[in-house]
Amino acid sequence: MNWKPNSLALFGVAALATPIAAYAKIYVSVEQAQQLLLPNHVLTKSPLLITRDLQEKLRLASSIRHPFQGDRIWKAQDGSWFIVDEVVGKHEMIHYAVALSPSGTILGIEILEYVESYGYEVAEETWRRQFIGKSANSPIKLNQDIQNIGGATLSCKHLTDGVKRVATLYELALKNQAPKAP
Amino acid sequence: MRRCKPLLGTFVEITINDPYSLHQLESASRAVDAAFAAIALIQHLMGFHQEDSELSHINQTAHLHPINLHPWTAQVLVAAQEVHQHSNGAFNCGVGHRLVAAGLLPQHPGVRAHQFGGIEDLRFLEPNRVFSTRPVCLDLGGIAKGFAVDQAVQVLKNNGIKSGMVNAGGDLKVFGKHSQVIYLRDPRQPNHLTEIGELQEGAIATSSLYFAKRDHYRPSFIINPFASPTNNPYIEFSESYSVVAPDCLYADALTKVLILSAGKTPSCFSHFSAQAIALST
Repeated sequence: MNWKPNSLALFGVAALATPIAAYAKIYVSVEQAQQLLLPNHVLTKSPLLITRDLQEKLRLASSIRHPFQGDRIWKAQDGSWFIVDEVVGKHEMIHYAVALSPSGTILGIEILEYVESYGYEVAEETWRRQFIGKSANSPIKLNQDIQNIGGATLSCKHLTDGVKRVATLYELALKNQAPKAP
Repeated sequence: MRRCKPLLGTFVEITINDPYSLHQLESASRAVDAAFAAIALIQHLMGFHQEDSELSHINQTAHLHPINLHPWTAQVLVAAQEVHQHSNGAFNCGVGHRLVAAGLLPQHPGVRAHQFGGIEDLRFLEPNRVFSTRPVCLDLGGIAKGFAVDQAVQVLKNNGIKSGMVNAGGDLKVFGKHSQVIYLRDPRQPNHLTEIGELQEGAIATSSLYFAKRDHYRPSFIINPFASPTNNPYIEFSESYSVVAPDCLYADALTKVLILSAGKTPSCFSHFSAQAIALST
């Protein structure tokens, strides 16, 4: 082990702390996540119109308030699904992808991007919009040099709620679309 | 390459620093998949939430009959006993029932007793076979995350990765020739970062309550193992306590020892080649 402490930081720690307004980490693009979660599958975009009734049921099942967008659903030939969604917390927004088997089992979850923000409202549409459509190849320039943040463990509870929402979507809307067995 | 998955109740990020050409990308990707799979297995074996985990089996029946364990579970329990012994009991995983009582962990049927023992009550009959002299309610939440980080790094190395990092929501390990600048969050304001140093071939783990307290009021998840059954065992604190050590398992476990000593470097730290960092408020 080779540990070089920043001696200044260890004495007058708080004074040296730098505030971050926001930082974003882009892990993988939608296409890369498709390759990782459903390798060797041909995926076809399969958008779904989310009715108000369905939206309400998704909200009740997951306790996530912001609406689910039905235009980020893909289907594989064998009946597997690939769904992109996001969860928005008080200070963070997480884009993620979930792959489901034809019977609705979760095959995998991949985080696409993680945005942490202070001093902005993450939930604000204009703030969120600047990240949509970005990929691992076009990273956002926000405190990009800050990569290795230690510290108290951040819970992924919001994301767990998000995955619950995707599972509910499958039960209520996707399941019946599955192809019949040959 | 950097990827992130939700595991162990947090976000686990794996970074590979190796330069690779396009045809090596696939093998690097497979290495990362294998590392994530190792962490998922650890969650499956040692999770308190899962009623069918090996940990739950121990809590349900280890006082009734011996239990066969996966070598990794045995390894974590042995390390937990080692830290327990060297810290004179300051680190003890036998506090699960306290966390259940506070609503921080789920209550499982079959794990009820008037008095629970601790990690010291486990006896190994064989390296992977254990029984308990008293009913126990162990929670490995204070050590398994560090172990998972170590194992993920090992899997990456076994798959030919030379340099990288595994970060489980703030507990992290750096390996290879690249050293990494590490930032810590200011416990008063988690959006303020302090550059605390540069780490190579080592791990750092942190315990603080700023995220736990941010959204909901709940009792602290840090338990004083010395509190009597009638005393309030939940340790409330506003500081941030970090431990730098060669392995993340020990760094993780030793943060709890550091909290109990209120930031004064405990004497057992030299045994574990560990260093303490306390950020006050």
